[in-house]
Amino acid sequence: MRTSAYPKPAAPPWLVGLAGILMMISFYLIFIWVPMERSMGVVQRIFYFHVPSAFVAFIAFTIGGIASIQYLATRKNSYDDLSVSANEVGLMFAVVNLLTGMLWARPIWGVYWAWDARLTTMLLLALIYFAYLILRQSVVEPTQRAVVCAVTSIFGMVDIPIVYMANQWWRTQHPAPVLSGEGSIDPRMRFVLYFSTFALLSVFWILVRMRRRIEDLRREADGLRREVHSL
Amino acid sequence: MEENLKWIWAAFSLAWALHLLYVYSLGSRQKALKRQVEDLRAQLEDQGRAQ
Repeated sequence: MRTSAYPKPAAPPWLVGLAGILMMISFYLIFIWVPMERSMGVVQRIFYFHVPSAFVAFIAFTIGGIASIQYLATRKNSYDDLSVSANEVGLMFAVVNLLTGMLWARPIWGVYWAWDARLTTMLLLALIYFAYLILRQSVVEPTQRAVVCAVTSIFGMVDIPIVYMANQWWRTQHPAPVLSGEGSIDPRMRFVLYFSTFALLSVFWILVRMRRRIEDLRREADGLRREVHSL
Repeated sequence: MEENLKWIWAAFSLAWALHLLYVYSLGSRQKALKRQVEDLRAQLEDQGRAQ
């Protein structure tokens, strides 16, 4: 009788515990500790979830893109696994970013959505990764699937600097960058923004580990299926 | 102020609902694949014994 190849959980308990503690501290900082922004009031606090979600999505897509380049160079399946895991989790964070942005825009701009450069390029970025996941399902041959997806992932990564620079290159309704741009930010707000990003990164890492386990299991199932058919 | 609270509540609930939904989808995909792997292993052992 063979035992399971994966007796341990995909995410180690210490990482789950650390992410939980970081998220609790992050909630305390966002809702109690950080000062109220004068012009927008309480709605501005969406910013501490909206912006870190975008940062995490950018980091995820960059990891996915670099892993894709490494896959094309070495043809090692582990890079393809990392790429799909980071990209899928990154897409989830990009959707969170878009939706929280819409819920911030409604009370501040009076509309949920404006077709300005920042919002449109971010939506395009998310759509590229939706297409990536659809491609993943539709190409049957594993090597061909990995190559096509790697190219799409690299293409998606190229859009990241365009999204980031959109409100500097074009006139947009979206607020100017508060960290690197002309706008100033209270040091406490900056601290909470960085802390929330760090807390969300720990959640991201747990999700990537869980997603990679799925790829490991899929490869194992494919191998066993081939063995069964060869007997 | 109170009027605006509903927007922040909606944003945080939606964000966490999405996270939980994604974790649930990962868990169910993992469970289905584990079952598939176990079934295939059992099938292989049966075929091995039969030969």
